[in-house]
Amino acid sequence: MKSAANKSSGPDHDEGGPSDATPEGASTGDGETPEPVINPAAVSAARAKTLPAQEGRRPESAWAHLSVSAAADEDPGQAADTPADDHDDDPVAQDATDEDQTAATDESADTTSEAEEPDSEQPEDAEPEEAPAPKGGAFTEEKLPEAVSSALTDALAQLREAVTGLHFGLDIPGADEARKAQAAVLTQIDDYVIPRVHMSTAPALIVVAGSTGAGKSTLVNTLAAQRVSATGVRRPTTGTPVLACHPDDGDWFTKGDLLGGLTRLDRPREGTGQDSIVIAPTERLPQGVALLDTPDIDSVVEEHHQIAHRMLDAADLWVFVTTAARYADAPSWGLLRLAKERNARLVIVLSRVPAKSRDVIVKHFARMLDEYGLGEVERFIINETEVRDGRLPDDQVTELRMWLAELSVDDQRRTQAVQTTLNGVLNSFRNRVPALARHLETQVALRADLRSDVDAAFMGALAEIDEATRNGSLLRGEVLARWQDFAGSGDLMRTLQLRRASKAGQHGPERLRALKSALHTGLESVITSAAQRAAEDVVTRWRQRAGAGDRLAALPGLGRPSEEAARRTARMVTSWQDHVTELVRTEGVTKRSVAKLVSFDVQSLALIFTVGLLGYGTTDVSVGSGNSALPQRLLRGLLGAESLRSISAKARSDLRARIGLLFDDETLRYVDALDSAGIPDEAAATRLYQATYNLEVAR
Amino acid sequence: MTISAEPRHGLGSRLAALARVVDLGQGRVDPELLDESTQLLLRAGNRLKLSPDHTVVALAGGTGSGKSSLFNSVSGLELSPTGVRRPTTARTHACVWGLEGAAPLLDWLQIQWRHRFARASALDKGESQLHGLILLDLPDHDSIRALTDTEADRLITAADLIVWVLDPQKYADAATHRRYVTELAGHDAVTVFVLNQIDRLSPEDQAICVADLEELLAREGVANPKVVATSASTGKGIDSLKAVLAESVSMRRAGYLRLEADLDKLMVRVAKDMPEMLRVEPAVDGARRAGLTDALCDAVGAPAVGEAIENVYGVRSVDWVGWPYARWAAALGRDPLKNLRLGDVKEDIRALVSGSVQAQPAEVDNAVQALADGLSQGMPEIWQDSLRDAARSRAGQLPTVLTDELGEIAPPLDRVPFWWWLAKIWQYLLVLLFVAGLAAFGAILAYGVFDAGEPPVKLLGEVSVLPWVGLMMASVLGLGLLTAVASRNFIVLAAGKERDRLERDMRRRVATVAQELVLEPVERELQRYNDYHEALNTARY
Repeated sequence: MKSAANKSSGPDHDEGGPSDATPEGASTGDGETPEPVINPAAVSAARAKTLPAQEGRRPESAWAHLSVSAAADEDPGQAADTPADDHDDDPVAQDATDEDQTAATDESADTTSEAEEPDSEQPEDAEPEEAPAPKGGAFTEEKLPEAVSSALTDALAQLREAVTGLHFGLDIPGADEARKAQAAVLTQIDDYVIPRVHMSTAPALIVVAGSTGAGKSTLVNTLAAQRVSATGVRRPTTGTPVLACHPDDGDWFTKGDLLGGLTRLDRPREGTGQDSIVIAPTERLPQGVALLDTPDIDSVVEEHHQIAHRMLDAADLWVFVTTAARYADAPSWGLLRLAKERNARLVIVLSRVPAKSRDVIVKHFARMLDEYGLGEVERFIINETEVRDGRLPDDQVTELRMWLAELSVDDQRRTQAVQTTLNGVLNSFRNRVPALARHLETQVALRADLRSDVDAAFMGALAEIDEATRNGSLLRGEVLARWQDFAGSGDLMRTLQLRRASKAGQHGPERLRALKSALHTGLESVITSAAQRAAEDVVTRWRQRAGAGDRLAALPGLGRPSEEAARRTARMVTSWQDHVTELVRTEGVTKRSVAKLVSFDVQSLALIFTVGLLGYGTTDVSVGSGNSALPQRLLRGLLGAESLRSISAKARSDLRARIGLLFDDETLRYVDALDSAGIPDEAAATRLYQATYNLEVAR
Repeated sequence: MTISAEPRHGLGSRLAALARVVDLGQGRVDPELLDESTQLLLRAGNRLKLSPDHTVVALAGGTGSGKSSLFNSVSGLELSPTGVRRPTTARTHACVWGLEGAAPLLDWLQIQWRHRFARASALDKGESQLHGLILLDLPDHDSIRALTDTEADRLITAADLIVWVLDPQKYADAATHRRYVTELAGHDAVTVFVLNQIDRLSPEDQAICVADLEELLAREGVANPKVVATSASTGKGIDSLKAVLAESVSMRRAGYLRLEADLDKLMVRVAKDMPEMLRVEPAVDGARRAGLTDALCDAVGAPAVGEAIENVYGVRSVDWVGWPYARWAAALGRDPLKNLRLGDVKEDIRALVSGSVQAQPAEVDNAVQALADGLSQGMPEIWQDSLRDAARSRAGQLPTVLTDELGEIAPPLDRVPFWWWLAKIWQYLLVLLFVAGLAAFGAILAYGVFDAGEPPVKLLGEVSVLPWVGLMMASVLGLGLLTAVASRNFIVLAAGKERDRLERDMRRRVATVAQELVLEPVERELQRYNDYHEALNTARY
């Protein structure tokens, strides 16, 4: 709001005490002093107040102020060094330098946006779809028809939403690339596609990209005829993108949505880096074209590559700068390939060409371009010359300047170039978005695989337990000894004759308990062992899954059962035993004929039943057959075959259910580990395909 | 041979330790690292075998930085073609100062014959300090051609001393710094940075540029970067470069320093997650042994077997040594089970009891697992796994072996000792005696008291004998009862002893089996853990 406040005192005032927002003297030279960020809101507020005051003012003079003060910021002595063939405005600028510089700089921020429409009072808050070209008359109104535009806007919004919603949680090979591609698509939609679709006739943004030390900044400076971007021998030089444009186009870039996420600065500054852009208006550039100097694509500062690619994503035309020493570098060709893939309008500048070997190099480079299928691309050659004050001699860039001028004048050609690149970008979504969807599908599939690994391992464990309780391996060790003890010492028979020998079983309870606890321990250890194997199995299976699997498997503690597993198992077995006793009590109605003769102790009977069920592997088949094992024969005699069969089935399925529940708890740990990496939305891929399709339809 | 003994010895033993690390770390270390270690061992072996008098210096850098020009400047001859087309050099050129013994080294470096050049040092006055230099002009590593060509990579790995040729335009390229300079940050003793084409800059800019490069290198962890500013076209700085090369060549240590730096770098990665605990007790302590034996005994059911023997013998002996009258009386009672038509339950029980000891596999499994878990506390995860695998390596046989071993010593529950027969015969004899007494008593009663007729034997008519016969019968019964009680007590006592003996025997057997099948593999693995970490430590420093 500071600028608004300053502004209200009138544009032609003498600024009293120099405001801290415009420390003109201090900022001279190094550009490290903080400058006010151009805030579009503040600017428009300021304009609303001051427009009447601007009425009678000639825009040219305002711009003279601006261009000179900007130049003076950089290098006070620059004016003297300006080559003779510089623009006619220069004398005016020279004069202006002597005028009240404080005021001029103070205005620089505001005039950028104001001077652009000094006489045409266009409503600023029009709907984006019907937003007019910033300057009437300078551009032909080539808006897309209303219906198509809104359909396209909707389709883009849908695509944007679909891409935003993506989450690649698993670190499988390609996940990083996918995340980057996702961010790039999003940024490009925001920075470029949506603004460009809304205003297809806005000034063309020409992005100058290339290797570090290729002379991008020098080229931009030369074309802008002032030092808008720092040059030097340090590599990498440029860290913040610098946009040079005709003052009349300034508003579009300062306030427009193009590269909307970036903070606008009016000079490069330390520590700004990624999220800012310097906007430098200059008279020497023709209207309708803006040059954007970008950081390099191949220096050690990787941040620069990202910025450069973001700028290229927002470009209408790509100017690729390389040098005689660099034209075979791999990163350069990577960029050229990208331009070709995107079908972006491309211009190549081969710079720093030694005069004596110019022909050889140019020919060789041309042949390489031909081989890459880029032979058609427009090329400009700049000889190796002395660079003075960050600029090349102007005669080296005559052709380029001509080209820019043509582009400026020839609306149709410019619009065509803009459309070509926009189409290229929209076309690229055809591949890039489905590629994201495919990666997402891979993630979903991998997650499903990892999940099924867990299930398979625990299903295996369940089967193992089933097997162990059927093949008699449980009736070994202590269980066997206790059973032998129980049967052999006569307790077995005594429990069946309780009515007659009422004092039987003095040892009974003791042996009964021992057998019961032996069964408990036996069953528990079978389950524990199976759970251990299952845990190891999961880890082994996960390790074999490339990428995410082995990383997840390395999480501590997954290779063994959980801490509580042992306690839970013990509790589970106890409650199952109780359940069996209850089953025998309620369902094991003794046959009437037997009941007259013997009564029996439910505890013992349940135990005998358990031994029969787990130790001998009572199956429904063997219950019926003649030569079945002792417990079955006893029980069948006592309870009847039908009743025994039903109890057996119930007890077994109950056991399985309980183990299943226990294993579900164990499984949860692996599922949690999987989920911690994020749950990919399976429908998202479909949405992406749908959005891509809709975009195609809307175009 | 000016090599001092000390570095060679140090490097030699470190490499030997690395070989042991590779050997012992099989399956316990990231295979990729093992692979790299093997490659380093191979390379070190080859390089140390080949001419120690020569120093291989590689001129590396991006395309267009002037490697070939510099190569020609140093050698003083136009050996490697220079040009303006990029990339220029596709094959490595070599120039040798002092040819003798260099050929095998050049063969190993795979330099083609037609790209080998020799400077006969005798002809070059003042260049004798370069004697022993093999200068390589590498192809670039950053052009589109290099994407499919690994020659530069190979030679950058193999050279003793690397000279990075940079230029003011390209000195900060990611292609050079990320892939090589940062990777070789610890190699500053065998790395030289040349800022070539310095003639393109003004003197002030030269200083800025060199300072900037030095700062950049420092940020990347190159401790003491040697930066030489040269210009191949004007000849500036070439002598400084030659001096640097000459120093390295005359020391004849670049090869060792290079390998040492490689080894240092590799070992940092191998030792990345070295645990706190570098040494574990290689023998399993007594408490853990006892714990394992206990757990295995439980898995076999040893205590229960003992108890079962005691009880079952006690019960079964009644059939043999018990008082027959009591048995008969019991048998008279109605057995309700008969009505259930269960068949011969007793037979079944007998069959059941005759089954021998068997180990429970799941419990055996858990016992072994518990041992491994206890021992591997504090070890890295991968060693925990390997220890567990070692413990299990033969544990699969454990249930069977335990079953066999213990089956041998555990007596079958249905065995019948000889003296049970004797006792039974004695009891029946007593029964016979009692029956005879009964008959005599009856006869005397009949003949003597009721005068039923003439007694066949005179004695049977004597009434006065009657009390004596009664007394005899009573004492026969008493004797039988007494014998039964005594035998029973004896059996219980013997069974108790038997149980003790059996439990002891079983424990001993179980311990033996455990030692062989579990503890030995485990202790081997523990030893391996110690050996590995010892070798790792040796290889590190």
